[in-house]
Amino acid sequence: MRVLLVEDEVRLADNLAAALRDGPGFAVDWAADGEAGDDFARNGVYDLVILDLMLPRLDGLSLLKRLRARADSTPVLILTAKEGKQPIIQLLNAGADDYLPKPFDLGELLARAKALIRRGKGAAHPMLRALDIELNTLEQSVRRAGTLVDLSPTEYRILEYLIHNPRKIVSKRELLEHLYDYNWEHHSNVIEAHVSNLRKKLEADLPSAPPVIETMRGRGYRLAAEAEQPLDLT
Amino acid sequence: MTSPDLTSHQHTSPNLPRSSPAPQDASRSRWSTHSIAFRLIAVVLAVELVSSVLVILLSLGYERHTHFHAFDVMLHGRADSVLGAVQDAEDAADNVMLDEADLHLPADDLWEVWDERGHLLGRSPNWQGSGQGYTPEASDGFSKLTLGGHDFRLLREHGSRIVDPGEPGGGTLRHVTVLYGAPTSHVRRAIRRAVEFYAAGSLILLLVTGPLIAWLLHRGLLPLRQLAALASRVSVDSWQFDPPASARTTRELAPLTHAMESVLAGLEKAFVQQRTFVSDAAHELKTAVAVVKSSLQLVALKPRSPAEYEAGLDRALADTARLEDLVAKMLTLARVEGGIATASAATTPAACDLAASLRQTVSDLATVAELRRVRVNLHAPQAPCLVPLPAEDALLLASNLLLNALQHSPADASVLLRLSVESGSALLTVEDHGEGISPDVLPHVFDRFYRGDPSRTRSTGGAGLGLAICRAIVEKASGTVAIASQPGVGTTVTVRLPLAAPPADSPPPSA
Repeated sequence: MRVLLVEDEVRLADNLAAALRDGPGFAVDWAADGEAGDDFARNGVYDLVILDLMLPRLDGLSLLKRLRARADSTPVLILTAKEGKQPIIQLLNAGADDYLPKPFDLGELLARAKALIRRGKGAAHPMLRALDIELNTLEQSVRRAGTLVDLSPTEYRILEYLIHNPRKIVSKRELLEHLYDYNWEHHSNVIEAHVSNLRKKLEADLPSAPPVIETMRGRGYRLAAEAEQPLDLT
Repeated sequence: MTSPDLTSHQHTSPNLPRSSPAPQDASRSRWSTHSIAFRLIAVVLAVELVSSVLVILLSLGYERHTHFHAFDVMLHGRADSVLGAVQDAEDAADNVMLDEADLHLPADDLWEVWDERGHLLGRSPNWQGSGQGYTPEASDGFSKLTLGGHDFRLLREHGSRIVDPGEPGGGTLRHVTVLYGAPTSHVRRAIRRAVEFYAAGSLILLLVTGPLIAWLLHRGLLPLRQLAALASRVSVDSWQFDPPASARTTRELAPLTHAMESVLAGLEKAFVQQRTFVSDAAHELKTAVAVVKSSLQLVALKPRSPAEYEAGLDRALADTARLEDLVAKMLTLARVEGGIATASAATTPAACDLAASLRQTVSDLATVAELRRVRVNLHAPQAPCLVPLPAEDALLLASNLLLNALQHSPADASVLLRLSVESGSALLTVEDHGEGISPDVLPHVFDRFYRGDPSRTRSTGGAGLGLAICRAIVEKASGTVAIASQPGVGTTVTVRLPLAAPPADSPPPSA
């Protein structure tokens, strides 16, 4: 998952980005002011925007309004140091999904960020299920048919992204955009290698089992459909 | 009007200037003795009452005079007609007699006629007589008599008649005394009726004008009440004070209205500034605390190596130092700004040598300048340049300005500090050759917590308070501070401070 962090306080942004990368393993892009944040957000590759309210050049509320004005439905978590109920009501009415008053608890911020991303993908529960795969987003663990599958962080994130988008063809480019921030080199063959490893690990103990990830040649990957599997085998 | 409220209310203490009178109090105090309307009505009615009494007394005197004058004229006339009835008796002794046949007098009247020999010539049938007889020694005049429960006014008149005027020697002169009285009851009744008319008129006038005056006063005091109602609506949360046009145009209320408007505007401005400062300060403090907290929580997020822990603790410590610096600067600003009110009062501010403060600052910050590889040039007179600032504030001013210049100077650049005395004031300029400040940012650099370009000031770790502190110090000493900048060329801060009187002189002039 890729998160856009718009925060003008450098040290706070450093800590938040580190926590988001270390904890849930999100890719994080950082913008130091409102206009830069708006430019980043226009790429449309983010699964969550963490937005400070008091920003230079363009304040958080205006940025939020711009975002919603162009029908961008990315979940937005607001960080605010303002007092009073009115600003909060105003924020939620302007399209914010959640807010945290400063100084916040880092653990709470991570939990809310994960919940917002989950909700944004249409999943209410932290346990995601597809086929016979169980993906625990809290522990970042994956079980297939009850057996724990040991995945690398990137492999886990690819699987999580595919499960969040069932039956949708996900291009290598999309995976790149959502799993890596701008600090990484973009190479689609990196994705190919990770997907290949992921397939091997998922199918290692179950050689007869149907494939979990389908390759749509030239278009990308897709999570296999549950009902179609038995038909294809027979 | 004299309701029982009035007497009971007088016992309450006269604590009129209450900030917010309770609604039920408002109606009561309307008739209390502290009400302007009540007092005016009372005064007007009292004046009316006194005038009425005076009118009644004057009319009483006038009516008495005119009625009794007419009465006296009538008495004279009637006495004369009695005198006219005295005729020659046609006897040898040349006596006179009274011919009553020609007398037509009111039956109530009393009269009697005596001749000089003491003979009673005639008397009204309803009278026993005065018993005085002929009294030539008594002068003509009026007297009072009460007869049968009635008051009479009695006129004594002396007359004479010549008997046989045709005879040689001019005839015989005979003297008579006429006493004539008439009852005064109907005169008194007439006077009473006239006075009663005046009294009734006054009373009716009083009854009509009383409520009329009350109503007119109520109407006349409407602008005052409107003003009071609007003023009572002003509160800490709502500064809206829009005085009615009537209050503005009324000569008596205009000064009060203007005073209230200006005071409220000033208070609101100060209040909004204070609120903005508190809100900004809260934001800065919370953010600084959030940084410290997140730094520590980041370290605790997962098990780490000792080196990672060490680095994390170092970062948290640096963040804490920044928080500490922020708090210290905010307290400094609060101290400097808070001192404005007392400094402008009678206390004479301390004076210090700004040139010495600059020299000390330059030496204090020499290591910082060296680290940033910036040259600092100071041009200051050797002679003391006394400014009305405490030494502590002068140092703070100098170091804040120099630090600001150093932070915005690239390596190998120079900063120029120049102090001079010009037309009775000290002129300090701090010139750097940094990247300059864009024109849209320039007007805000003295605002509290204002940070220009974040990418620039963040790296220097400024809290956005340094220049605000400078401005507060300078303005406290009745000086001015200005900033001019040319992007890409550099920035110059100009401070102008009044000169303080040398302490060796006669007692310092009170500010």
